[in-house]
Amino acid sequence: MNEPIRVKGLTKSFGKGAALVRAVDDIDLSVAQGETVAIMGPSGCGKSTLLHMTGGLERPTSGSIMLAGQELTELGERGLARLRRTAVGFVFQAFHLVDELTARENVELPALLAGQSPRAARQRALELLARVGLTDRASFLPAALSGGQRQRVAVARALSNNPLVVLADEPTGNLDSAATLDVLRLFDSLHAAGQTLIIVTHDPRIAATADRMFTMRDGLFIDETRLTGGTSGNLGALAGLPELKG
Amino acid sequence: MGRMLIIARLAAKDIRYRPAQAILLLVAITAAAAVLSLGLVMRGVTTQPYQQTRAATRGPDVVADLFFGPSNPGSPCLGANCSSSTSTSGDAATLAGKASALEHLQGVTGSTGPYQIAEAVITTANGHRAGVVAEGRDEAPAAIDQPLVVSGTWIRPGGVVLERTFAEALGVSVGSKVTIAGYPYTVAGIAVTAAEPPYPNLCYATGGISACGALDITSRDFGMAWVTRADAATAAKASGMPLMYLMNLRLSDPSNAEALVSAYNNSKQGPTASTSLVAWQDIATADGLLIADQQTVLSVGAWLAALLAIASVAVLAGGRMAEHNRRTGLLKTVGGTPGTVAAVLLAENVVLAVVSAVAGLAIARLAAPLITNPGAALLGTAGAPSVTAAIAAEVLVVALIVALAATTVPAIRAARRSTVSALADAARTPRRHALMVALSARLPVPLLLGVRMATRRLRRAFLSMASIAVTVAGLVAVLAFHTLADHVIDNAMTGSIGLTDPVVQRDSQMLLVLTIVLLALSTLNAISATWATVLDTRHSSALFRALGATPRQVSAGQIMAQVMPAIPGAIVGVPLGILLFWAANGNGGLNWPSPGWLVAAVLGTLAAVAAMTLLPAWLGTQQSPASVLQAEMA
Amino acid sequence: MQEVILAMLAKEPSHGYELRSRLRGALGPVGEAMNAGQIYVTLGRLEKAGLVACELEAGQGPDRKVYMVTAAGQQRVAAWLAEVGWPGPAPTEFHLKLAAAAAGRLADPVALVDAQRRELLRLLRDTQRAALDEPPGTDAGLLLEGVALRLQADLHWLEACERHWLKRAGGKT
Repeated sequence: MNEPIRVKGLTKSFGKGAALVRAVDDIDLSVAQGETVAIMGPSGCGKSTLLHMTGGLERPTSGSIMLAGQELTELGERGLARLRRTAVGFVFQAFHLVDELTARENVELPALLAGQSPRAARQRALELLARVGLTDRASFLPAALSGGQRQRVAVARALSNNPLVVLADEPTGNLDSAATLDVLRLFDSLHAAGQTLIIVTHDPRIAATADRMFTMRDGLFIDETRLTGGTSGNLGALAGLPELKG
Repeated sequence: MGRMLIIARLAAKDIRYRPAQAILLLVAITAAAAVLSLGLVMRGVTTQPYQQTRAATRGPDVVADLFFGPSNPGSPCLGANCSSSTSTSGDAATLAGKASALEHLQGVTGSTGPYQIAEAVITTANGHRAGVVAEGRDEAPAAIDQPLVVSGTWIRPGGVVLERTFAEALGVSVGSKVTIAGYPYTVAGIAVTAAEPPYPNLCYATGGISACGALDITSRDFGMAWVTRADAATAAKASGMPLMYLMNLRLSDPSNAEALVSAYNNSKQGPTASTSLVAWQDIATADGLLIADQQTVLSVGAWLAALLAIASVAVLAGGRMAEHNRRTGLLKTVGGTPGTVAAVLLAENVVLAVVSAVAGLAIARLAAPLITNPGAALLGTAGAPSVTAAIAAEVLVVALIVALAATTVPAIRAARRSTVSALADAARTPRRHALMVALSARLPVPLLLGVRMATRRLRRAFLSMASIAVTVAGLVAVLAFHTLADHVIDNAMTGSIGLTDPVVQRDSQMLLVLTIVLLALSTLNAISATWATVLDTRHSSALFRALGATPRQVSAGQIMAQVMPAIPGAIVGVPLGILLFWAANGNGGLNWPSPGWLVAAVLGTLAAVAAMTLLPAWLGTQQSPASVLQAEMA
Repeated sequence: MQEVILAMLAKEPSHGYELRSRLRGALGPVGEAMNAGQIYVTLGRLEKAGLVACELEAGQGPDRKVYMVTAAGQQRVAAWLAEVGWPGPAPTEFHLKLAAAAAGRLADPVALVDAQRRELLRLLRDTQRAALDEPPGTDAGLLLEGVALRLQADLHWLEACERHWLKRAGGKT
């Protein structure tokens, strides 16, 4: 499918009357297969809400969301749950790993919830952990992992059921610079493998990995930038090479 | 004193922050305090009213039954009111001789009587039929044992005065028409006495009259009445019963009554001569029989209520420990010592405990008159002291001990923890149970979720198990008591024709109240446990839903997580309940309720647990997972 | 650049092309756009200043020259190594550009900021792309990391600029 995600006129409001707040205000968004899209904006601009609605974690006030050929607003809770099992993988800022499960058990969870046999789930989990480079940490508890490692486990978990799209909400929000690089690398490899990604972030470094970038403020998209394509400057000038005057 | 002020404000803030939990704790301790107070009041009631009655009626220290063999057509009579003129001097002389012998017993300082008593059948206008012991008395007040008239007037020719409980059972009041031994009488008044036990223990218990039961009426259906001497003689002649007399004796040392009575009854002068003595202490005991059953019921109930309250408190306190840890960390970072932390917690718990205790005492005070109206026979009126200062003090002390106990464990833990670790984990991090995790992977999704949610907080699962066990134990004990009461009723009913047995009736009332209190407490307990668990697993539920579990699967998991520990708890509760009942019943044997009822109790409790989880679980699934997960981050 | 070349010669004398390849290696993609002749110009200046001496090898062309550092040059290198000055972090020119545009109503400062942001983002993307292509642990990769981080900082500042100039515009109207 060429456009796995199509959002039209999406709105989410909270409160009533004078206290009405439009967290997301009439947003249109289309994401192509294999594309990485970044949504940037200050805190409270509604980007997380937009992401949650796209993944069926939150119900919109109005508008339509087409995901994997299904209209999300027409689905009941069971339908949404099925979608989350098969078409969507989530990565959260707070990781949301289960504290008392090992890395492998955490990654197994979506497969088990989808009804796979324990053995198949275990197999898949080990595969994914290898893919994110954490094979030797498979039997560690989250408390024994660094922030970057935890987030990588979360990414592995999100990939468990071969989702159509991975939705990441501030994936590096709780990470330091080195861990951010790890996650950056991971997203890059996902992109190279053709995974569709929507990333919400206020870290420009993560946003810069995207093909397209949207800037959001007060519930609206105020800018769309295509990041692929040549730059006007060169790295040397940028790096201050002419300053190293001879 | 600034420090005290800060502690007070922190404690108040904390209570206001989580009002629901504080309220639940309050209600649990209040219920326990109320039951405890009532139990203590009951203990005090037994002897009190009898003493009051004894004082008010100038009760005797010893009562003598004089029994004269088969009836003579010419009954001897004494005094001016004698209606029959035929009397054999022999019988009169024998009677006078016996009376004199009793008057001259060592330690006797005064006597009244002998009064003739007639054992006869009494029927009422509303169709009741029972046995009556009618004592022939003078219209003038006697020096010893003058029954106190509580409504109407004293005897007159054709006017009978009935003992209060008896009148209640017969359903008659002043002015009603009755027949005694076929003769019509009007009820002139209703009175209480300390000389004989009240209905239904008049002929039934030790301390009552020993020689009734010759009529075709069971001994439990006899009650006391007073008539004029002439009426007594007439009734005795008409009923054709053996001659019997009562004498009331005053002793120089009332406490000596039992010794004197046993010496007399065991000596040659004793019952072989058809005279038996009864000491006032035995009469008091027989009076108390009415209360004794109620006391048993209350003591069983008090124990069960206390246990349930403790279980509730433990669960609630455990729930509060989670936030407590974090707040402890915060307090310590701003310079609070472990002492401060403990002081804040103690202040909260003490306040809650004292308020609950006072509320419980107030409830007991209001409810006491309903329960301490002991068979209407004794002078327990609304003005009688119910909740005394001593009782209040005892209950308060118990409440304070509970508060202290609830403080100690968390305070010690808080003091030992390092500040950083206390801040770091918002709640107690669940421990890992590898075996359960591995096992649960093979189960279908709802069970998988249920097992994992239950093992997250194993301690709470155990507490749930314990409180369900206590609940079922309570239900089983109540069932056992009902079975016992049924047997008693069956025994009492044989022979009697529709007279309400106030003992049984009072017991049934007590039982009902107790059952309701127990059910309320256990419901409270269960609700608090289920709500607390569901709240605790809110985050997990939201996460599972985000990973693709349907709301139905998650709700089913929540219910499983509650029901699974409840099952062993309920099963353990059955023998526990039997044990409790047996322990509280003392001399009684084991009363096994029917298996059908037991199964119903167990299944009913489990169903109730499932139902109680359903609501908070369903409410939880109404929220979008995103909002729960976001909130957790804040 | 002068001190850099001097430092590279400090250990042992080298040919010009050797110096160039060593520089390229350290700079990685950043040095791709570097002018080949730049090296020789710098070497010439250093020779004039007496910090470097030059010997001719047998053969044709400038590549036959061998350069070595003099005593004065060594001293200079030592002094340079001990310096802790840092290039100024203030994007003063851009800031003044915005102020001037606003004051003179030449252009909308917010639009300027947005344009610059887009540009920097593209540059950041390229930098990161290059960084990821580098095998982990190389010196060149470290330099790219530095570029990316400073771009990130600049982008954060540009967001602040946007907020500031938006507020200004809002306040005025």
